[in-house]
Amino acid sequence: MDMSNPAVFVNAEFLKEHVGRKVRTVVQVMQSDGDKVIGKSTDEKELVVKGNPPNALSTFVEVIGIADTIQSIEAEIWTNFGDTFDVNSYDKVCRLANGDSKHLFI
Amino acid sequence: MYGGNNQFDGNAAFSGGGFMPSQATQTAGDHSFSPAKNRDSQTLIPLTVKQISEAFQSSDDKTNFLVDGVDVNNVKLVGILCNKVERVTDVSFGVDDGTGRLDCFRWVNEAVDTKEMEAVTNGMYVRVHGHLKGFHGKKQLMAYSVRPVDDYNEIAYHFAQVIYVHSYNSSLRKQHDSSSMPSQVPSSSFNTPLKGYQASASNQFPGYSMDGIRGVDKMVLDYLQQPSCLALEKGVHRNQLVQQLQLPSEKISEALESLESEGLIYTTIDEFHYKSTGNG
Repeated sequence: MDMSNPAVFVNAEFLKEHVGRKVRTVVQVMQSDGDKVIGKSTDEKELVVKGNPPNALSTFVEVIGIADTIQSIEAEIWTNFGDTFDVNSYDKVCRLANGDSKHLFI
Repeated sequence: MYGGNNQFDGNAAFSGGGFMPSQATQTAGDHSFSPAKNRDSQTLIPLTVKQISEAFQSSDDKTNFLVDGVDVNNVKLVGILCNKVERVTDVSFGVDDGTGRLDCFRWVNEAVDTKEMEAVTNGMYVRVHGHLKGFHGKKQLMAYSVRPVDDYNEIAYHFAQVIYVHSYNSSLRKQHDSSSMPSQVPSSSFNTPLKGYQASASNQFPGYSMDGIRGVDKMVLDYLQQPSCLALEKGVHRNQLVQQLQLPSEKISEALESLESEGLIYTTIDEFHYKSTGNG
């Protein structure tokens, strides 16, 4: 069992609180060029994801990595989440995971 | 000193008292000795790895783990599969759900097991159902179903379910505690795995509502049951009670003696330090 390196659920709002730490989020890909993806967060802000994106990106992509700045993530793991995704539910879970239910996650 | 109070030699001795959260789903005490027959304890509970890491394991092998006061046997996890190693009779792997990583094993007895394990690879999101086990002090999941997540909404859904189940179980527990008795001691003692303590506890507490404790006794007990006092390993010194409650020291001594004889408090490092047998 390894509890040393949790990835916190974030949207653009909560990313600010976790700079320097490992985070996970889902973005809607707006623009992708080589080693950088500009995406829309689940709370509809612009986020920059750096790293090594896979060749084919779906509309929604989950990234797990280190929060680089208050609006960018250095991604380690990219997962295509497909072209349809319930952004609102994800955003709500994200709020709960940073709010009353934080102790269940980190 | 412990002296003649050996029966209260630390909560750990009988692993009862407040260390065992009350089991909200098991109100009838007699069920707690036959978990195999109790359907409540067989339910599949969605959890995060963080919750599992903090799950309380009783010393009694049968009762297994407790999360939010509920017996946990079968759990559901959703996370990323990693470190998959195939062996002759089993496949070992880790599941990282973002809150932590748990070691899992899957026996491969039949073709269907092999097939299911072949379908999942490292880095894939999986939904794992399994039986939580303690092994040499480590927690492991004996998985009986490992399936790839094909609709990624399931991830948010799983965690929403985790939050719901947690708040459901903890609110049930609060209700249960407050409806039975204000103190943790009586309500939790119904589920102590050690029969010896249980017998004495159940003789003692029914009908012995906290109304029975009045005046100074109540004040002293309330003071000792404050979370800050429960957290102190050596308990609270008699003089501190005298100071804090602003009562004559004889009154405090009387109260301590009576509470001690009722088994609600015990002495710790010496005969002046007291602790509540309840655990908040």
